[in-house]
Amino acid sequence: MTVTRTVTEAAQAASVPSSPGTQPKSSKLSRWDAKYTPYLIIAPFFLVFGIFGLYPLVYTAWVSLHEWQLIDGNLGFVGLANYAELFGDAKFWNALVNTLSLFVLSTVPQLLAALGLAALLDRGLRGSAFWRAGVLLPNVISVAAVALVFAQFFGRDFGIVNFLIGLVGIDPIDWRAETWASHLAVSTMVMWRWTGYNALLYLAAMQSVPKDMYESATLDGASRWRMFWSITVPSIRPTILFTVVTSTIGGLQLFAEPALFDPGFAANNSTGGSDRQFQTLVLYMYEKGFRLFDAGYAATIAWMLFLVVVLVAIINFSLTRRIAGKG
Amino acid sequence: MSRRLVGSVAATLVMVLAAGCGGSSEADGKIELSLGLFSDFGYDKLIEEYQAAHSNIKIEQRKVKMEQHNTQLATQLAGGRGAADIVALEEGVISQFRASKDKFVNLAEYGAKDLKGQWAGWKWNQGTADGGEFVLGLGTDMGSLGLCYRRDLFEAAGLPTDRAEVAKLWPTWADYAKVADQFTAKTPNVKFVDTGRNVYKAILDQTEEGYFAKDDSYIAEKNDKVKTAFDTAAALGTKQQTGALEPFSQDWNVALKQGSFATTTCPAWALALIKAGAGDAAAGKWDVTTAPGGGGNWGGSFLAVPKQGKHPKEAYELAKWLTAPEQQKRIFKETGNLPSQPAIYKDAEVQATVNEYFNKAPVGQIFGTSAESLKPTYRGTKDSKVTPIFNSALQRVEQGKQPAADAYTQALKEAQDAVK
Repeated sequence: MTVTRTVTEAAQAASVPSSPGTQPKSSKLSRWDAKYTPYLIIAPFFLVFGIFGLYPLVYTAWVSLHEWQLIDGNLGFVGLANYAELFGDAKFWNALVNTLSLFVLSTVPQLLAALGLAALLDRGLRGSAFWRAGVLLPNVISVAAVALVFAQFFGRDFGIVNFLIGLVGIDPIDWRAETWASHLAVSTMVMWRWTGYNALLYLAAMQSVPKDMYESATLDGASRWRMFWSITVPSIRPTILFTVVTSTIGGLQLFAEPALFDPGFAANNSTGGSDRQFQTLVLYMYEKGFRLFDAGYAATIAWMLFLVVVLVAIINFSLTRRIAGKG
Repeated sequence: MSRRLVGSVAATLVMVLAAGCGGSSEADGKIELSLGLFSDFGYDKLIEEYQAAHSNIKIEQRKVKMEQHNTQLATQLAGGRGAADIVALEEGVISQFRASKDKFVNLAEYGAKDLKGQWAGWKWNQGTADGGEFVLGLGTDMGSLGLCYRRDLFEAAGLPTDRAEVAKLWPTWADYAKVADQFTAKTPNVKFVDTGRNVYKAILDQTEEGYFAKDDSYIAEKNDKVKTAFDTAAALGTKQQTGALEPFSQDWNVALKQGSFATTTCPAWALALIKAGAGDAAAGKWDVTTAPGGGGNWGGSFLAVPKQGKHPKEAYELAKWLTAPEQQKRIFKETGNLPSQPAIYKDAEVQATVNEYFNKAPVGQIFGTSAESLKPTYRGTKDSKVTPIFNSALQRVEQGKQPAADAYTQALKEAQDAVK
């Protein structure tokens, strides 16, 4: 909407060079221009979205209504049978709970840490460009490389994490065997990758907060902590909302991190742990679609995932708006 | 469906487009053939020779990891384009692809049936369908079973180190378990075997019917052999005599290098993996001997020709040449992949082959003998759906998450759902 309006104004400004009040000669053309050019300009986006976003979405819905074998294709219309089966499928609920747990475990600390990190970067450190580029570095590194390294950190026999906790007298943990341990390890990977990215977004927003607000707050004797929660956070509310929604979308579609954390993934044994401890919805979808070749059921999972993402995004959006709006 | 899926769709499209452009173009009038493989088949030199002998043919090898190979092939077959002219099908998944044999060329149309006599009977049968009328793939190597052990670790545990004497220790898997107890009593800090899964698989591979009867019906819950195999492997896991490692994973490599386990089941093709993982420092420490319980087969592949290729006849000729006896013999000498053709594994030169790294073990003789006593397991169409369920169950036992009996009960229940 904002884009459209700006473009419209720009187009109007460009096509109405004469002073206000006088009618331009080619008024018909310029009116057409003002009316339709913005749509022409944004049309490529919708075209691309239609091909790569909408079409797969609708096609997936179509596939989910069929018995569909990956290689042989359509084996007949079954209506909502796949959905009915899904609701009674304990593995689906297990994957949903895992997904939500991993999402909460990784997103909440991640966004809080990003907020803190941004506040630190905003204080004008020496060599700020270096630090700002530095926090983005984990995000630039490919997820496969990150997952490989972290999978070794969390190794059972020779992992560095077990070595470190051994120094303070804790017994080694089999990070892939226990549900909580595997969730913690996978969340760590996600946090490592995305905290810096979100911190930079917050930092950009923080720098546009008017400085005089802080000055008057200082005169009133407010503490730094109070200023942060009462001025900074409410001022960057739109950015927080944005990061919450994008993190929700990304977090609920977790795939590469848990997949590569599972050493069985490369060996056709990809269930996300011996008892599906860290099998996310996308991992389950992958198992059904690409290992068991049940494309119809995989499409059903994909659609349910889509609905879950929409639902959680709406909840998070309204929740964050209320919390961040309080100050 | 949002960014990630859109991304993968875009990536697939790019791949398809790229394949469409480069795959079968006939540059300077040459016929281009592509080979879709998943590990080292030892074809590099052979392909050069073939190209030299056939000036009108240009061959490209595509090597990816096995999991990726299988899923890629499945989507390429579904999409009707992008697959290589010749694709490798591994023994564990060929039954899954056999169900979609319409997507492949029936090699019998080009006279493949005349070649039948080259292979061991069971190998030929695995590559065919419809009672031998449909020839899906030509056999490459096979994975007859041996057992690898660390000489130095056996010595430390007061066990014999000579391979003939070691073989005498374990005529059966029950004896193998007893040796495990002796070993653990002496050296409790070293695991006797890398993973229970491979012991389980080895025992199962020595029976003719595992999860499925030869008529493709699911029989796991009434097949005592499955239970015996599971119990034997699970007992090792319960006693923590296994390393609970994912076979051939990064952790497995590290454990090899650290020498933290003493034995592992090894089909012929696994020798190269052990050598790569353990490194030069362990040269001569590993040795190979006969596996308990007789011969069995694990792995080995087939070359098949997808229908979507433009040059099925030329592809067949190449596959035929690559799997011919002379070439299989050369591959064995270069890579150690055991030929699936009796004439070759009984060949005097092959039988005399020793492996320097494995303490000069006479691998030609060990694997050749094992191949002769081999009774291959029938792999059901849904085998690849059931296998991971039992593997996970065994892993739960090894991880101490579940008692063996409960894990087995859960696996049977899940498998029942999976074959429904």
